[in-house]
Amino acid sequence: MQNPYIPMPVEVTKIVTEVETNDIKTFRLNFVNKEDEENFKYLPGQFAELSILGKGESPIGIASSPTQPGYIEFTVQRAGTLVTGIVTTALHDLDVGARIGVRGPLGNSWPIEFLEGKNVVVVGGGFAFTTLRSLIHYMLHKDNRPRFGDISVVYGARTPGLLCYKEELAAWEKRKDIKMHVTVDKGDANWKGREGFVPTVCKEVGPSPENAVTVICGPPIMIRFTLPVFFELGFAKENILTSLEMRMKCGVGKCGRCNVGHKYVCKDGPVFSFAELDKLPRDF
Amino acid sequence: MLKKIALEKLGDLVSALMEKGPLYAPVKGEKAVDFQEITNPADVILDFYNTAMSPKFAFFPQSEDLIRYRLGKEATESEAVSLDAKPSVILGVRPCDAKSFEIMDRHFLGAGIIDPYWNDKREKTTIIGYAFDPSTAADPADFYNTLGISASDTAGSDIFMIRTDKHLLFKGITEKGDRLLKELSVLEAGSKTDEKTFEDKAKKGGEVKTRFMEIQDKAVAGKLVQVFNNKEFWEKATAACISCGACTFVCPTCYCFDISDETLFRDGVRKRFWDACMFTDFTLEASGHNPRPRIFQRYRQKVCHKYSYHVDKYGCISCVGCGRCTRSCPVNIDIYSIIESASKL
Repeated sequence: MQNPYIPMPVEVTKIVTEVETNDIKTFRLNFVNKEDEENFKYLPGQFAELSILGKGESPIGIASSPTQPGYIEFTVQRAGTLVTGIVTTALHDLDVGARIGVRGPLGNSWPIEFLEGKNVVVVGGGFAFTTLRSLIHYMLHKDNRPRFGDISVVYGARTPGLLCYKEELAAWEKRKDIKMHVTVDKGDANWKGREGFVPTVCKEVGPSPENAVTVICGPPIMIRFTLPVFFELGFAKENILTSLEMRMKCGVGKCGRCNVGHKYVCKDGPVFSFAELDKLPRDF
Repeated sequence: MLKKIALEKLGDLVSALMEKGPLYAPVKGEKAVDFQEITNPADVILDFYNTAMSPKFAFFPQSEDLIRYRLGKEATESEAVSLDAKPSVILGVRPCDAKSFEIMDRHFLGAGIIDPYWNDKREKTTIIGYAFDPSTAADPADFYNTLGISASDTAGSDIFMIRTDKHLLFKGITEKGDRLLKELSVLEAGSKTDEKTFEDKAKKGGEVKTRFMEIQDKAVAGKLVQVFNNKEFWEKATAACISCGACTFVCPTCYCFDISDETLFRDGVRKRFWDACMFTDFTLEASGHNPRPRIFQRYRQKVCHKYSYHVDKYGCISCVGCGRCTRSCPVNIDIYSIIESASKL
C-alpha cells in the first residue's frame, strides 16, 4: 500500500501569473513517474497537498480538470502574513523546471452524479474560483456536456486586474452552451463588462430554482450576502453547495486539525451542502 | 493460559523480555513514574499508581520522522523513513490505558486509510496489562468506572498481570499474549489454586471505586450538541484555562498531530509530532482567519470531540477516565465535572 504521507514527485512545467497584484499564480505540474500520474484519479472539487521539503505542505484545490490529462494545475495565492504563508511563498519563488511533491487527490468532490441532469449555477468570487474552474472545464468537455442542463456562471472580482483565468473567461463568453456573467466591483478605463457585487448580479440574473443546483465559492463576506439571494429565489439548502476552508495537515482524516463536529473537512469535505453545514456546530 | 513467577524473580522475567526486543516498563524518575525503554532490569518498578504520561507513545511517539532530506543547489534528495518497528513489549499497562489503545485503533486503523506508522508498531507490540491494586483506593481524579472500566479489566491487554503477596500471575488474553507466555521459559505454569487466586483478585478489582456517574454515549453526545452554543457555560467552565495543552499531551486518547519540516543547514527531516487543539494557532489558516481564537472555543472543541463527535463518528467516547488531565492541569480544570455540569443543563 502506498504510504499516504509520502508525496509523489512532480515537475513544474508552466507558471501563469493570474492577477495584476502578482500574488496569485497557477502552477502546472507534471508527474515524474508515469505510474503516479495513472494513479492520480480525481474529480473537480478535490484538493491535494503541495509539498516543498524544507518548507512544508499546503492543501490546495485542484484547478485543472480530469478532462485535461497529462498534468494537474493549482492556483495559489501567496499568503505571507507573519506566521503563515511559508509554503505558498516558497511556491511563488519557484521557476519552471523545479521539482516539488504532491499528495492526493484528497477529499470529496463536487457531487457530479447529483449535478447530472440539472441546471448548474456556478458562483465564484476572487481567487476562490479554482475548483469551480475545474468543474466548468469538466462539464463543458464534449463527452460530458450532454449530461448537464443549462450552465450559468456568475464570477466576480474587485477589479478587472484581479480576475483569474482571463483567457478562459473570454473563450467561455463566446460559447453558446454556457452563460457567463463576469462582474467587477469597480471597473477601469478599459473595462467594458458588468460592474456590481456578486450577490447583486445573482439577483439580476435570477436563476430559477427549478431542477437547479448552485455551487458557491468565495470570500466569507460574499457567501454571506449571496446565500439570502438564493434562498429568496427558492433554492433549497440541499441544492446550495460550497467548499469549506479549514486548516489542514495530513489531508487523510487523521491529524484532527480540520475537525468540525463529527466531520473531518479534509476527508468528509471540503464540499458540503448548506443543509449539511446546518447540522454542524458553528465552529468553522 | 495462566503462568506465574515469584516476585523476587521479576528481574529474570525482565531480562527474558528484553531478549525478545525493546521492552517498555514503568521506571521511577525524579518526579514521577513513567514508561521507559529498559536497559537495566533493576530499573523496572511495579509499586506505582499510574504513570504520568500515557503509554500511547509506544505507537504514536511524540515526534516521528517521516522523510529525511538533503537540500541541494540543483535538487533535493529525499528518502521516506522505512517502517521497521521491532517486536516489543509494554509491561505494566493499567486497564484504563489498555482500553485506550482500542479506542485509538478505531481512529488510526478502523476508518478511512490505515495509518501505516501506528499500524506497524501496534501489530508488533504485546501489551501486558496490570491490575490496579485492589487494596489501594483509587486516585481522586480517576473516573474510569464512569467509562465502564474496572481496576482489573483485561480489555485491550494481550496478557493480564495480577500481583499477589508472593507472585505475579499472568493470564493470556489474546493469541498474541498466549504465544509470548509460551515462549517465556522463565515462567512457571499456574496451578488450579493460582487460577482461583487470579479470579478472586480480578473480582476484587471490581470493588475499587472511582468517581462515577451514569452516562450513556449517545445521550451525552446529544447533550453536548445542545449545550454547544451556551457560551456562558463554556466561558465559566474554562475561565481558568491557560491553554497550555498539558491535558492533551498526557491523554491516552488524544491523537492530534502536526507535520513540519525541520532543517539544519542542508539536512532536514519531515516529522509528525503531537499537537493540541488547545493551542492558539491550531486552526489558524494561511489567510489569517482562525475559527477558534478564544480559549473557551478550543476547550469546548476538546470536550465535544471526546464526548460527542467521537461517539457519532466511531461509536464510543474517546476518554478512559484515567484522570491524568485533571492531575496535570495547572489550574484544576476537571473534565469529569464539566461533563457532569453539562449533563445537568
